[in-house]
Amino acid sequence: MSNSVIEVPPKGGFSFDLCKRNEMLAKKGVNPPSFRKTGTTIVGLVFQDGVILGADTRATEGPIVCDKNCEKIHYMAPNIYCCGAGTAADTEAVTDMVSSQLQLHRYHTGRESRVVTALTLLKRHLFNYQGYVSAALVLGGVDVTGPHLHTIYPHGSTDTLPFATMGSGSLAAMAVFESKYKEGLTRNEGIELVTEAICSGIFNDLGSGSNVDVCVITKGGKEYLRNHLQPNPRTYTNSKGYSFPKKTEVLLTKIIPLKEKVEIIEGGDAMEE
Amino acid sequence: MGDSQYSFSLTTFSPSGKLVQIEHALTAVGSGQTSLGIKAANGVVIATEKKLPSILVDETSVQKIQCLTPNIGVVYSGMGPDFRVLVRKSRKQAEQYHRLYKEPIPVTQLVRETAAVMQEFTQSGGVRPFGVSLLVAGYDDNGPQLYQVDPSGSYFSWKASAMGKNVSNAKTFLEKRYTDDMELDDAVHTAILTLKEGFEGQISGKNIEIGIIGADKKFRVLTPAEVDDYLAEVE
Repeated sequence: MSNSVIEVPPKGGFSFDLCKRNEMLAKKGVNPPSFRKTGTTIVGLVFQDGVILGADTRATEGPIVCDKNCEKIHYMAPNIYCCGAGTAADTEAVTDMVSSQLQLHRYHTGRESRVVTALTLLKRHLFNYQGYVSAALVLGGVDVTGPHLHTIYPHGSTDTLPFATMGSGSLAAMAVFESKYKEGLTRNEGIELVTEAICSGIFNDLGSGSNVDVCVITKGGKEYLRNHLQPNPRTYTNSKGYSFPKKTEVLLTKIIPLKEKVEIIEGGDAMEE
Repeated sequence: MGDSQYSFSLTTFSPSGKLVQIEHALTAVGSGQTSLGIKAANGVVIATEKKLPSILVDETSVQKIQCLTPNIGVVYSGMGPDFRVLVRKSRKQAEQYHRLYKEPIPVTQLVRETAAVMQEFTQSGGVRPFGVSLLVAGYDDNGPQLYQVDPSGSYFSWKASAMGKNVSNAKTFLEKRYTDDMELDDAVHTAILTLKEGFEGQISGKNIEIGIIGADKKFRVLTPAEVDDYLAEVE
């Protein structure tokens, strides 16, 4: 028997060969281009009538803020929403895909989608890609079995919790939740607590910033409060506008149009083919 | 008649230029329960008989009119199981279109893709054509639309059409009654009268099914109670 490696054709499933190549290259100092990460503080909590999700709105590309007001709370079903942290493309693609699958499922069963269905579809997908799909999600919704809140990690593990935070600002937000959360919060108390937690992330974490988005989901429906709080408005625009003094004297003005005006003559002969 | 020698193989033309299997599929459709559709000025209505094989069948579990997208619905004449397969495929295609273009699929596109599926099954080995004709009703940016798709994969846009048993009587009736400026409610009444023409037995909300889509672009199947209300108005 020879000692050489026999090339076996792949039997199916995702091939991780290129991932190994990338890791080897990174060790040698060749780094892949950095992805647009959401940085992020995302939170969720269960209150007496349902679930409240909250997120900041800053998207970062390394040290640069590439989107000052992005949307991190994604639609999954009329009664289920999902906040996403990690690589922005991954969170958007994976929530879009599962939202599509849930819609088909609703047509086939004729019923409202359940949060555990969305949870299982997401975690199966993420596990299949062994953590390379870098999406950390906070999934919340209200279905026939009641309100549910889950966190999903990029490798595919999940938690079911009464309050949860994810992202680079998760520790700042969790500190607020741990000290102030209690069961049976009312809607306004819940929104205030979520806003406080996100603000804690916005002001204490570099990867999070700009505005606060909130989404309230109850049995009756959902309320998506986009930019519920805007604690970082632009304050440096000069209301008088800018005017720069002219430095060069104008001696002569001559305008020559580059395109001749085309005149349309009616009633000519048609072109021969 | 050289045709009969070519009737067993789907993928062989007969000397007269026909695919005899498709003719047989159309016969299967022609012996199915009557269904019809009418395009009104502000919406579309589709309706079908729902004759169950026995009084013991739970009629609430049978739904012949199905929703493909929030603004497109479909009804059939012919074989129920074939219909289920087509509905499943069409729903998936509509959803894939939406994922790719973030736009609700236009009615013509969905009809074209469904027809393409039906045509595939007339040109492949080892399969048979679908034994259903579909009536697709939808309302999109181009207004209300009604399409009929046949087992061969050909589709036509209709102002009003009928399929199944009794098709000739139903079409004659529709030709007489159809007007271009009909409102949706008038169309529902006309649809009920057309179904009544060839109906054996007592017509009620439990043995016909009606689906409508109006200017709100939301397709819905009427409940038996609503159908009974329309029936009462017609009498």
